Amino acid sequence: MKRLATLFVTVLFLGVLAGCGAVPKEGPEGGVGAAGSGGVGADGSGLGRPGGYGSNLDDPNGMGGSRGDMGRIVHFDFNSAMLSAEAEQVLAYNAKMLSKSSGPIQIEGHCDERGTREYNLALGQQRADAAARFLVSQGIQANRIRTVSYGKERPVIKGHDETSWRQNRRAELVSR
Amino acid sequence: MSKSCRQGASLLFSGAVHGSVWARIKAWAEPFLASAPSKRLAMVPVCVLAVVLFMQGSPAHGALRIDITKGGLQPLPIALSDFVDLSPGGAVLGQNVSGHKLIEVVTADLERSGLFKPLDPKTFIQTPAELWQQGPNFRDWRLIGAEAVVSGAVHEKDGKLVADFFLHDVFQGTLVGKGKRFTAPVRDWRHVAHRIADEIYTRLTGESGYFTSRITFVASKGDMKWLSLMDQDGANRVDLTHDRSLVLTPRFAPTGEQLFYLSYESGQPRIFRWDLYTGKKAIQGDYPGLNSTPAWSPDGQYMALTLSKDGNPEIYLRNLRSGELRRLTENNAIDTSPSFSPDGSQIVFNSDRAGSPQIYVMDANGGNARRLTFEGSYNAAPSWSPRGDYIAYVSGGGGRFRISVVDPKGQNGRALTDSWMDESPTWSPNGRVILFSRQSGSQSRLYTIDFTGHNERLVNLEDSINGSDPSWSPLVH
Repeated sequence: MKRLATLFVTVLFLGVLAGCGAVPKEGPEGGVGAAGSGGVGADGSGLGRPGGYGSNLDDPNGMGGSRGDMGRIVHFDFNSAMLSAEAEQVLAYNAKMLSKSSGPIQIEGHCDERGTREYNLALGQQRADAAARFLVSQGIQANRIRTVSYGKERPVIKGHDETSWRQNRRAELVSR
Repeated sequence: MSKSCRQGASLLFSGAVHGSVWARIKAWAEPFLASAPSKRLAMVPVCVLAVVLFMQGSPAHGALRIDITKGGLQPLPIALSDFVDLSPGGAVLGQNVSGHKLIEVVTADLERSGLFKPLDPKTFIQTPAELWQQGPNFRDWRLIGAEAVVSGAVHEKDGKLVADFFLHDVFQGTLVGKGKRFTAPVRDWRHVAHRIADEIYTRLTGESGYFTSRITFVASKGDMKWLSLMDQDGANRVDLTHDRSLVLTPRFAPTGEQLFYLSYESGQPRIFRWDLYTGKKAIQGDYPGLNSTPAWSPDGQYMALTLSKDGNPEIYLRNLRSGELRRLTENNAIDTSPSFSPDGSQIVFNSDRAGSPQIYVMDANGGNARRLTFEGSYNAAPSWSPRGDYIAYVSGGGGRFRISVVDPKGQNGRALTDSWMDESPTWSPNGRVILFSRQSGSQSRLYTIDFTGHNERLVNLEDSINGSDPSWSPLVH
């Protein structure tokens, strides 16, 4: 049921992205006028505010990501980047699936919303690195793996309780 | 300044102390001012007297008392009369600028500082024109409780705004400093108002103001985040990034003309430098894994940053000219969030090398690391005051994350705020006020608080956007 929901969200998300695709990608333009010698702000640099963002979308290609697998997400304790026995099982399974292909792998590290943004970026990196090291120990080539920490920026659940936080403290395997 | 002076100043002050308005507010601000070398000799007698009062242990008599305890903040009553409009044919100089609007901005600045209590103009007996033409009738101003009076006038000359102002001490019946004239393009009228507010603040506290400064921060709405810049009072917001990439942790350069910030535009967190006046943007290195927490050295020559390329988040120093990299920390724990001391000789940072995130200080070459915080199991995001006397940081405990301060020796620590998730402390250019972000539910807002723990204020953000990751600029002159 949860997986179905995830799938639904993903589809929804793709829809949002497709919609956003039409919005021209604007580079930052103009500078800011020096106070006392010019106005502040360049005309016409108003900001479009499309919803959605396009970074960590799952793509099942090469990831063995259809239903029935063990999932591609492992969870962590608060303020910890230690892999649990369960997490190692999930990663070992993923390593087996990934060894059948040779595509690039991205591992994203995430934290719950507690604690500072900066520390959580470092902690998310440690989580991604821990998962990456485990995959390498299972025979996956290190140069296939790229790690990205999102700190507390990309919660899967927006709640503010332990149930949500547990889901958000995670490392996630995605293809790129 | 001596320690005993601090103690003395933290007691009661009497009317006897305030020979002038300046001395009175000086006394209020003493614990703050005492921590740095004074530029003005006039401060010494105040301090000496304070010590005497303290030694005698007798509450001095007189009507005026300034109590520097948490609840007893007594801001200075000041009358800010509308500036008189001298332009031929009317009040408004274009772009809706008038003497009245100008003084509104000055009033808001001074009021928000918590050090001043602008009096209600409805109670003023002298009209602005009378005040400007005849000078203050001090008895009238005394009658309404004003201790300082500001008078001024504006006119337009050659397309520019010209603002003149005078500051008067009501008790002494004298000018505080000379009159001053500011000239600027009319569109920069708010900047002129902030200059005047800075001038008043400086003359009455003996310390540099902070009203002509800016704030850069991460603005957000829904899942969208972008980099934004505004004046310290929330006006003149300019949105800087438009590419829909996640951006984080902007940091003002010591010149106030560039920013470092983190962007995921390549799909990975990378540090960029942004030049405010040219709009130019340049990536600052592209190392595998995490690139985060850019911090400027005070001389603008180096960036301290966090990289995970060697297997673990560690702090490095990057030469901004050559790109040369030098590793500063080395252990199996997280090392991150560097912030330089104002003289550039030391770096305060965050590490969980002892098992939980704590605040440490090391020499800027990486040596001599020592731990500053021992209370609580989560201390992070340190920011060294531009005065050098305090370090602001986030202290977690009991499910709450508060803005706290501690001195560079690890002494005199205290929590300033009490909320569920306060973070990202950054200092006003004069080291008096701390700006931070507060999350409540899914909302994030910016707040300021005096470093004594007084005067917590919400920063106005237009368009009901969220704000986080603030960085306060130096003075913009």
